[in-house]
Amino acid sequence: MARRRPDLPSLVAGAAVVLLGVVLLLDRLDVLDVRFAALGPLACAALGAILLASGLARRD
Amino acid sequence: MESNDQDPTTEQVGAGAGTPSSSPEPSADPPADPGAGRSDTTGGAADGPRRLYRSRRERMIGGVCGGLADYFGIDPVIVRIIAVALVFAGGAGILAYLAAWLLVPEESADGASEPGAAGRTATIAGAVLLVLAVCTLVPFWGGPFDGWAWSGPFMFLVFLGLAGLGVWWLASGEHPSAAGTRDVLRRAGLGLAILAVCGLLAIGGAWATAAGGGVLVAAVVIVAGLWLVAGAFIGGARWLILPALALALPAGVVSAANVDIDGGVGDRHHHPVTAADVQSAYRLGIGHLMLDLRDAKLPPGDRRIHVEVGAGAVSLAVARDVCVTSAAHVGAGQVNVFDRGSGGLDVDWRDDRRALPGTTRLIVDGDIGVGVLDVSYDDPEQFDRGDRFNAPREAGNDACIGGARG
Repeated sequence: MARRRPDLPSLVAGAAVVLLGVVLLLDRLDVLDVRFAALGPLACAALGAILLASGLARRD
Repeated sequence: MESNDQDPTTEQVGAGAGTPSSSPEPSADPPADPGAGRSDTTGGAADGPRRLYRSRRERMIGGVCGGLADYFGIDPVIVRIIAVALVFAGGAGILAYLAAWLLVPEESADGASEPGAAGRTATIAGAVLLVLAVCTLVPFWGGPFDGWAWSGPFMFLVFLGLAGLGVWWLASGEHPSAAGTRDVLRRAGLGLAILAVCGLLAIGGAWATAAGGGVLVAAVVIVAGLWLVAGAFIGGARWLILPALALALPAGVVSAANVDIDGGVGDRHHHPVTAADVQSAYRLGIGHLMLDLRDAKLPPGDRRIHVEVGAGAVSLAVARDVCVTSAAHVGAGQVNVFDRGSGGLDVDWRDDRRALPGTTRLIVDGDIGVGVLDVSYDDPEQFDRGDRFNAPREAGNDACIGGARG
């Protein structure tokens, strides 16, 4: 039986969203103090990774 | 994002004319001479998707600007001017150019396009975003990109570009289109509907976070992320990408700005006329907090007050015989203490002053999520009137050592 390949954009987006959620949770629990200087690059990296995965998946 | 998920083979956009796949209109035939027009080199064959290539004909360095000009059907000089302007916007132009030079293939010798490059635009955009993310993280440990900052025209250009990219993606899929109006309108309508839903999610998530429900929002975001990961293996979850981001990012912004709306919403005007009436702390969730201490007759010595606004403004007025020493954190916005000030993201303001003997020193401790902290001798009611921040401001703190009286 052929094994289904995971959908790369969903996988990367899921990981990025989980990471954002965990950071947000830690900030709300006062474990971290998230500021724009950290959130900006983090959000940029998350969006970039999703776009990159989307682009790479469509090139396959 | 969802609109970006379709099979690349269905995204047939005619060169130059740019006809989406679902549009029945046929594309124009390619010119006989590949070098005679622009569309042939970018779109290549009229029956295939339009491609982005580094131009061989319009080349100054790597042909990136020429290729972009061909792709969008504009004069290469315009693209070069924009690229040079971006060089002065924190160096973004250099990095974007280098990324494009590395990632964008060169136009073939006969000017024809090559197959199999669907999704290249997304790839390039993703790579550029990752480069920007890395470069903006570098200042944390100091490095050659120390000048990069999340403020000023650089960030404006980045966010403007992201917004344009998003609308373009939602409205037309992968490629800008000049034909197939019905399909473009359909995509635009779908995009707007998705944006509306995402907007509601964004506002709801931000409001819930500011109202103290951040833990719940974070939990929902994590569950959405796990659903996406599971959906990668079982299928059918891509639609969740945009809503999940719409929920997570605004909540993150509220969290980073530390916006708390527990203090209420609206304008508050406090005008104590005796020292006993002056409270140690003033809080407001969203709105304008006006604190007029000019008639408070504060006795000599130190007096400490804490002002806190989630989103909005604090305008604090003091008497001329009071020395103000201040410290504040502003998530996004600015601090103005008489003629001194600072603004941007993550503003940590500190202005330590010592009072002249026998005078009052007011120690102001501010915490502003998004907005402005303003200290002056002026009536706080006048705060909203006129272009106060761009007007010349009176030098203050006369009662401090080093001030006009010191």
